[in-house]
Amino acid sequence: MTRILFLCAILLLVAGTAVAVQTMKPDGSAALFTSLERTAGGVSTISSDFVQEKHLALFKTAMTSRGHFYFSKPDRLRWELTAPVSSGFVLKGDKGRRWHERTGRTETFQISQEPVMKLVSEQLFAWAKADFTWLEKEYRITVLQEAPAALRLEPRSAATAGFLHHLLINFSADGRYVRIVELHENDGDYTRIKFVNTVVNKPLQADLF
Amino acid sequence: MVPTFKLFEHLYNFFAVRRTILFSVTALIVALSFLASSRLQLQEDIIAMLPDDSSSVARDFRLLQLAPFTRKLVITLKGGDPVDTAALVAVADRLAERLKAAGIENVMTGPANITSGFFRWLGASLPNLTTEKDLARLAAGSSPDEVRNRLRISFEQILSPEGWALKGSVQEDPLSFSSLALEKMQFLNMVPKMRLIQNHFVSADGKSALLVVDSAISMTDSGGSRDLLERINGAISTAVPAGMTATVVSGHRYTLVNADTIKRDLYVVLTISVSAVFAIYLIFLRSMSAVFVFLVPTSILAIATGAIALYDVNVFAVTLGFGGVLLGMVDEYAMLIYFSCRQGGKDPAAITAEVSRPVIFGAVATLISFGIMLLSSLPGQRQLAIYSMTGIVAALLMSLIVLPHLIKPLSGLKLPLNTSGGALRLPRRAVIAVWLAVLALCSWQSTNIRFNGELGAVSMVTQELRLAEEELAKTWGNMRGKALIFAEGADLESALALNDKLFALISGRIPAGDLVSLSPLMPSDALQRANRERWLSFWQNGRAAQLGRDMAKSGEVYGFSKSAFTQFLATLTTPPPATTLASLRAVGMGDLVDSLIIRSPGIVRVLTMVPDTPQVVSALSEEMKSLPGIHFVSQSRFGDNVGRAIIHDFSRYLTLTSALVIALLIVVFRSPSRVMLALVPVVTGVLCMLGIMGMLGIEFNIFNIAATILIIGLCVDYGIFMVCRLTEGSDHTTSRAVLVSGLTTLAGLGALALARHPSMYSIGITVLLGIGTGIPAALLVIPALCSKDTE
Repeated sequence: MTRILFLCAILLLVAGTAVAVQTMKPDGSAALFTSLERTAGGVSTISSDFVQEKHLALFKTAMTSRGHFYFSKPDRLRWELTAPVSSGFVLKGDKGRRWHERTGRTETFQISQEPVMKLVSEQLFAWAKADFTWLEKEYRITVLQEAPAALRLEPRSAATAGFLHHLLINFSADGRYVRIVELHENDGDYTRIKFVNTVVNKPLQADLF
Repeated sequence: MVPTFKLFEHLYNFFAVRRTILFSVTALIVALSFLASSRLQLQEDIIAMLPDDSSSVARDFRLLQLAPFTRKLVITLKGGDPVDTAALVAVADRLAERLKAAGIENVMTGPANITSGFFRWLGASLPNLTTEKDLARLAAGSSPDEVRNRLRISFEQILSPEGWALKGSVQEDPLSFSSLALEKMQFLNMVPKMRLIQNHFVSADGKSALLVVDSAISMTDSGGSRDLLERINGAISTAVPAGMTATVVSGHRYTLVNADTIKRDLYVVLTISVSAVFAIYLIFLRSMSAVFVFLVPTSILAIATGAIALYDVNVFAVTLGFGGVLLGMVDEYAMLIYFSCRQGGKDPAAITAEVSRPVIFGAVATLISFGIMLLSSLPGQRQLAIYSMTGIVAALLMSLIVLPHLIKPLSGLKLPLNTSGGALRLPRRAVIAVWLAVLALCSWQSTNIRFNGELGAVSMVTQELRLAEEELAKTWGNMRGKALIFAEGADLESALALNDKLFALISGRIPAGDLVSLSPLMPSDALQRANRERWLSFWQNGRAAQLGRDMAKSGEVYGFSKSAFTQFLATLTTPPPATTLASLRAVGMGDLVDSLIIRSPGIVRVLTMVPDTPQVVSALSEEMKSLPGIHFVSQSRFGDNVGRAIIHDFSRYLTLTSALVIALLIVVFRSPSRVMLALVPVVTGVLCMLGIMGMLGIEFNIFNIAATILIIGLCVDYGIFMVCRLTEGSDHTTSRAVLVSGLTTLAGLGALALARHPSMYSIGITVLLGIGTGIPAALLVIPALCSKDTE
């Protein structure tokens, strides 16, 4: 269960590139949210590299990994780790596929039959479709900075709050994509994902998904 | 004349001047019987035919009721095509809500109570659960190579998107020792083809969802079952969209089908039998007095039913279904009195005394037949015996004391249809030849008869129910048909200790998916203590320290800090507290535990389930005998055992009844030839019944055996009447009485043969064949043989 909830939260973050832009309307920041909503609404694809830093007590030092992230409206996502190991998954409609360098195997799955992936895809598409009702139900959203936009999301449910303290999301200057996501855990560990070389609305190869 | 029979002459004379009192008291008794009958509550289940004594069959039946799915309703929700599992799960939730709104609270769509701490608890409990064999695997799993491999996997998992979720488990169990504990969970899977999707029970093919409903309504409660199923069907109709189907399987459905069928049969049988008997009276009696003859058996129905109500308000429907039989059976006494009194020519008191002899002997023979049933361990049989015996005694008294006062002699007129003035006379040799030929044919054909001892053969199972069961087994595996093994103890610890021994005995031979046992996850305190001591001993002598060094060395390669696995290493030498029921409940395993631990006053039973296959049953049955306190109950074997017990019961009664009836005949007739003559209808009826059933391919079941006793009881009456008439100079009214009462019996029983319920049909067809051949034997064969006898 913990694993499932964690994964949901994480993928929610990943998907949050488009999401965070659209949904916040707290503290009289309506203008910001309207702007982000309009901007995010114009995003149909995202292609980006990422650098993930794990600041965990489990490791002697921060552990860095790299990979690629692709998103295409309405229902396609690819999350791919390239270093230090190669692994990843693709979501496409109700279907999914995952692979790992160590096992050398690729396996397909049906999202509706994989609780973790189902939650991931649900949240991803909720953000992509700017489902504000759902997002506000899940998180308390605080605007930290208007330009470029920076948001802090705190989980409302006790179950999620059991492992996730808060999320920090920084948007690009034009508000079209997320630049940095930070996941802060209750024990002080945190993970930072920096999205670099991000390209918006570039046609993506069909075989990516 | 014997004083006993003179008694009825005196009684006639006594009441001849007090008829108002006699009729008033009789009417009062009938009215009170009707009043008592109104208290009755009909019970339509199979309990009537299950032993309620201390036999192993009775005990097995009680134990079978404790099986987890025996008491529950299962609803299979099947998706449309193509199947959208998410939609299926959503509909399952909606249906659960609607069921709750309909007052059905305890509905499970999945193991909703399993808490997030369950897997952590499971891993931490490992020292309590680890066997010698498990430790050998741990030794292999903690080798330097394996440590390196496992830490690499842990490292990679943390980097993956799932890493956030896995960090805690990597710290607590970096070498995946808890997978051993997870494997033990396989022994708790009660639904073989089930998997969990979104915390819901979903079939392996993802096309069906399962809802389990726990209801307090007993499966034997037909009224409650009807209400429950109506509410469930109502919820299904509003929650399940077109394209999806919901199928309910439970004992309640069987109860309802049987109850409805029996009620319909009772209505049909009683209506037809009463109408037919009345019609026969009109044809053969043609007199207002006939109304009184008709009133005797109908009043008897009320009196017998009222007597049963006083004995026990819960009356088996099968017993009342026997009303038709009783109606046709008891009228023979009234008939004999009627024809004799109607014929007249003598003082009615003298006629009554004269007729009382064959009537009483016939009644005693029938009472013997039913009296033997009082010894039965089957409650339905005992109740039937009381019902029938009360009816017979009442019919006897009413026929000999009340009825003679209601019949006026014809004074010189002939009886209706009495054209020949005597019994039907056919060529003696021809009759005997045909009779012998029929007996020979039937004896030969009776060897073809097949016996079906299964309870299912006498229970109503519709095609719809059969298909639902098949679909359930196909979708979910055999979840309702497992054999049960109960480990019994005076307290939980002793029951668990016995359960541990049982598991040790059978676990090697039955795979985890087929074997359901609590032992791997909840051993007894004693075994847990032994496991902990073994665990500690295993990690002593530097093994834990060596593992720590290996982990530090391999961990450094992947950047793990020196303190990364301190917590894990500490658990190796610090055992956890014992696993208890409370701790299992705390992590959400309460429902599962309660399904497998059954408490009764002074007894705790721990349930283990195994496949109910002939191989497993035969292999385990013998071995279980070596473990005192273990009770092995196989549902398939139970059916066979019940069948065998009933056959044994009835075989004993048949032998006893036959012996007692023959003894009675010897006392009555004191002549071997007359005894043999009186037995002609019985022998003919039984042999022809068996032969014709064998010829027609009708299976012989437990109700056919019960009905055979009836054939003996009824046919011996005809034999007694006819032999009395032929050898003691009675007039031809006896033949007429036998013929008319035989026809009314056939009318009553013929109606039973129209019943749809297998038990009633079986009784009907058996007695129809037996009596249908016994009557001609009494009317034709006895006179044919008797003429030789008297020559």
